[in-house]
Amino acid sequence: MTAFVIRRLVGMVFVLFTITVLTFLIFFATPGVDPARQFAGRNPDPTTVAAVRHQFGLDRSLPVQYALMMKRLFISRDLVSYGNQALEVVPAIKAATPVTLSLVTGAAVLWVVFSMLTALLAVVFKGTLVDPLLMILALIGISMPVFWLGEVMNLITLDRWHDTFLFSWVPSNGYVPLTQNPWQWFLHLVIPWITLSVLYIGFYARVLRADLLEVQSEDFVRTARAKGLSPQRVLLRHMLRNSMITFVSLFGLDFGVLVGGGALLTEVVFGLPGVGKLTYDSLQTLDLPVIMATVIYGAFFITIMSAVVDVVYARLDPRIRPT
Amino acid sequence: MKRLVLVPAAVLVLVALVAGCGGKKKSASQPTGNKGGTLITLANAAPSGSPDPQVNYTLQEWQFLIITHDGLVGFAHAGGKQGTKLVPDLATSIPTPTNGGKTWKFTLRDGIKFSNGQTLTGKDVKATFERLFKIGDSPNAGTWYNAIEGGDACVKTPKTCDLSKGIVVDGNTVTFHLARPDAEFLDQLALPFAFILPADTEAKNLNIPPPGTGPYKWVEYNPTKEMKVVRNPNFKEWSAEAQPAGNPDAIVQKFGLSVESEVTQVENGEADFIANSDQIPADRLNELSTKHADQVHIQTLTATFYFALNTRIPPFNNLKARQAVNYAADRNALVKIYGGPKLNTPTCQVLPPQFPGYTPYCPYTKNPGSGKWTAPDLAKAKQLVTESGTKGATVKVNTDTTPADKALGEYFITLLNGLGYKAKPQFLSNSIQYSFVQNSKNKVEFAFSDWFQDYPAASDFLNILLGCDSFHPGSDSSPNIAAFCNQGIQAKMDQAATTGVTDPTAANHTWAQVDHEVADQAPWVAMFNPKQLNLVSPRLKNYLWSPQWYLLLDQASVK
Amino acid sequence: MAEFAFGPEEEVVLAPGEAAQQIAGKSPWRLAGRRLLRDRVALGALALFFLIVVVCFSAPIYAHHVAHTVVFGSNLNGTTTVNGKTVEVIQQGTGELGIGENPIGPTWQTNYFIGSDAQGRDVMARVLYGGRASLGIGVGSAAICCLFATAFALLAGFFRGFTDSVLSRVMDLIWAFPVYLLAISLATVLLSQTTPIINPASLWIPTLIIAVVYIPYVYRPVRGQVLSTREKEYVEASVSQGASNLRLIFNEIMPNVLSTVIVLFPLMIATTILTESALSFLGIGVQSPHASWGTIIQDGQELLYTRPWVAIAPGIMIVLTVLSLNVLGDGVRDALDPRAKIRAAKE
Repeated sequence: MTAFVIRRLVGMVFVLFTITVLTFLIFFATPGVDPARQFAGRNPDPTTVAAVRHQFGLDRSLPVQYALMMKRLFISRDLVSYGNQALEVVPAIKAATPVTLSLVTGAAVLWVVFSMLTALLAVVFKGTLVDPLLMILALIGISMPVFWLGEVMNLITLDRWHDTFLFSWVPSNGYVPLTQNPWQWFLHLVIPWITLSVLYIGFYARVLRADLLEVQSEDFVRTARAKGLSPQRVLLRHMLRNSMITFVSLFGLDFGVLVGGGALLTEVVFGLPGVGKLTYDSLQTLDLPVIMATVIYGAFFITIMSAVVDVVYARLDPRIRPT
Repeated sequence: MKRLVLVPAAVLVLVALVAGCGGKKKSASQPTGNKGGTLITLANAAPSGSPDPQVNYTLQEWQFLIITHDGLVGFAHAGGKQGTKLVPDLATSIPTPTNGGKTWKFTLRDGIKFSNGQTLTGKDVKATFERLFKIGDSPNAGTWYNAIEGGDACVKTPKTCDLSKGIVVDGNTVTFHLARPDAEFLDQLALPFAFILPADTEAKNLNIPPPGTGPYKWVEYNPTKEMKVVRNPNFKEWSAEAQPAGNPDAIVQKFGLSVESEVTQVENGEADFIANSDQIPADRLNELSTKHADQVHIQTLTATFYFALNTRIPPFNNLKARQAVNYAADRNALVKIYGGPKLNTPTCQVLPPQFPGYTPYCPYTKNPGSGKWTAPDLAKAKQLVTESGTKGATVKVNTDTTPADKALGEYFITLLNGLGYKAKPQFLSNSIQYSFVQNSKNKVEFAFSDWFQDYPAASDFLNILLGCDSFHPGSDSSPNIAAFCNQGIQAKMDQAATTGVTDPTAANHTWAQVDHEVADQAPWVAMFNPKQLNLVSPRLKNYLWSPQWYLLLDQASVK
Repeated sequence: MAEFAFGPEEEVVLAPGEAAQQIAGKSPWRLAGRRLLRDRVALGALALFFLIVVVCFSAPIYAHHVAHTVVFGSNLNGTTTVNGKTVEVIQQGTGELGIGENPIGPTWQTNYFIGSDAQGRDVMARVLYGGRASLGIGVGSAAICCLFATAFALLAGFFRGFTDSVLSRVMDLIWAFPVYLLAISLATVLLSQTTPIINPASLWIPTLIIAVVYIPYVYRPVRGQVLSTREKEYVEASVSQGASNLRLIFNEIMPNVLSTVIVLFPLMIATTILTESALSFLGIGVQSPHASWGTIIQDGQELLYTRPWVAIAPGIMIVLTVLSLNVLGDGVRDALDPRAKIRAAKE
């Protein structure tokens, strides 16, 4: 197991390094993007542009520039954005992280609870109308583009039905820090939580239901029933435990992606200043330092959760040997 | 100036014809209003570029800098026409230059303090101008302020800049010696680049503006969150005309919301104003017009939106082809894209209305002669295209990716295809489109751009955008996007510039001719002149609009 | 709690109406086919999907003969007839200030059925045209993705060791790489070409980007399946018989794996359609002059508060398409259930 962990860690470092190099190169292949020109503002003197270029080391060779950027990002942590020199990249990401965490954790709680509930209900009521109904609802949930759902939610809660008792409490888009005002923090996040979790509730409910059904035809379930255990106990203690493998591993991956900035569209639509929105803004303006930082941040979470999930999966399913 | 970076710079001392406050509400010229409260403004993003006051080139930040800092002279802090007049600020009076316009002697007022308690002296003035060069990336150090003696040397060796010859300090008397006469010197002193900073300010880009002499001081500049100024306790009003005490106790600008959300917040009164760099979305206009009309102010702007036709590469190196597109363009449709005829006026020429040198002129319409555009002449356009022999040529239609500008592009793609060209879209991100189309290497045949006045002088439009010297091949910085250079017209422009020093009326007559001749040569498809739509909260009173600085934030009253 | 509707004695794997004798001896593929044909819900979903495809691909017919409109040009000054009256497609705003220009809303007639967009174009017709692009990209990228992912998974799972390590790390790399960055840079690079070598508007670009991005997603489960199949007794038996690697891969492992891929395929189409709409919404997927459901939703963003149909209609199409694909995927998976047992319920 230790060898596996070490190998995965090494692999992770390799992946991160390669991604940063690729990102750096992609950016430099993008024509019309001359950071010195961007820094120098509108209609600058050619001498000003040259001075700016030299000041920021943009006239050095590519490997040197890459090394400088990595140093500024990790070691001295004073990397600044190309768009606004007062924007320090590392503090910006630090400030954006709680927002993303708030959004993603809340949504995750919602989707875990509701997907498990839905799946259990569907299994218990299999054969009645409840099962297919729940599954259709779940399916509709995963069939909606999240940004579209977000726009529709905005339309309904902030415009069309905002004056009714249903949605008059919905505040306009934005974020209030938990430490500043917990109640407002909560109110601002309710609709985004629901929007983000709808997709995942459907997906995880189906996954769990399928696994529960598969497990239920196993021998050990028959044994448990034969022993005289009640259906509830069989369901919750024996079947659920054994059906969680896929659920847990998928959850790990999805959570990792979301924390790493994958909730970009939700954050943009609801105006939440998280890592996803930071990524989106920097991509719009082709602001390489911020892009680089958000890419590394995201890739880090994805690869680490991917490794964690592999370990967990291997432990839970002895047929799979970790490689 | 380009829209995103509004630089309403100088007013020619001799000419003061201004696009006045054509707004819906009559604005008082004298500051009034109640003191107290916090003015909350919103902007989608922080001002781009460095926050350093000697580097930043955005109106968004300048609206704050004019109330935290002062120059030797300034634009009157008032609405309407008054707001374009130069008045003495830190100096006691505006001097008359001697020595052929090369020596300017200013006397500083006594007892003015910076927000950190230091007293203003002549030393600070000299240090401020030396810092302009020392920091290395001030955009106009090498073009405007190098007129000061020693300035050229400072451009070459900025770190050791010494302006002792050019700025002579004697107690509170500061004398500027210029190497050559500069008619726009006073205007340049009135811009934030030349606002006076404490002598001990570090000579490198700051992340928040340093202490100043104005009624407010900077307390926060966080590009992902907000920027904020609060009352300067050390400020005592010395000239209500130049720098009156402000009304709100604090002014904040919050970043990060989408413009849709900003509109909702200002409508509800949760915020007071949306920065002019954010364009109000088209689908909220109806709502504003019906439910919030009393919160809306529409201001005339001296600006022109246009597509530049590249006059050096096919097909638009052919005059008939250029004229054809001008005849075919339905300016009513273009006006529709940008919000309708209440917010835009069609135009066929470079200079905007109410501008010095402007006389209405439009040859590219059905039944020309009135000077107004009425309708496109598609038949004539098609005939010209055939005559030009350029049918079938490929044309890249280049705009940025904001929805309205893309829509303009898509309109023209349809139009050009209808005329027999092969038009292709080239929609680039805002942050790169402007420099991309300026570079002749990119061979853009048809490029979108806009221009807002720097100061009310015809040369600011015609010479900067269409003068031979403004075209720099292969450079990202070449404002003459059309690459236009006509010797005859250039000669007239030069003549008008010289005449303008002594006889502005005659010069404007020549400029009008230039404007008409340029229109005939059709280097542009001039589209329309826009108006500025301002949305303010219900509680905001004392709305003052200066053509120079737009909404005077400190004069707005929120209590 | 109700008594469970199942028990260990009942078999859930026989489709309703199937008796043990009917299925004994038939190949698993035929069995799957029969089961699928019996599954009314899945067939319904398949029919819905095909209906959507047919309707979208007949967009030119709709545009020309029903709505009488041209969908890819600006139509700002256009007029149309509503209830006998001629109205402008884009009308000046009302109210005290008269600012703004509004496209007409749904007429619920053949002309501008769900209204116009900001350029004066018939939204219904555009949604159909957009469907062609979205469906084409969705199916195309899913197919490419599944093909390559299966190939890689077979190699990695079968040969294990170094091959597996390298392939899996490459997959990690692709999975961790932000798709938006790749798409945005590619779009910008291609758009900035002075003399276009690659057409920046080509629909192959989003197709390939999306295909590549999801290869790791399909690779993982397929590789897991390969690994577990490899351990099965019948594979060991083949090995001991001296079967070559190629034979092992194609005869023993592939059929097992194929069912996983077949189940994944409709689900991947659903996923790729959703991804394409997200990229197009951000402006980095389908480019002008093409339209897709995602670009129309983006158009609709600007009109959301006044003309919500522009954003809602393509969204509904996406939901219906993806829903039908998901239901179909379920049906395919149920039909292919590898645990099919031959014991009947009552015997």
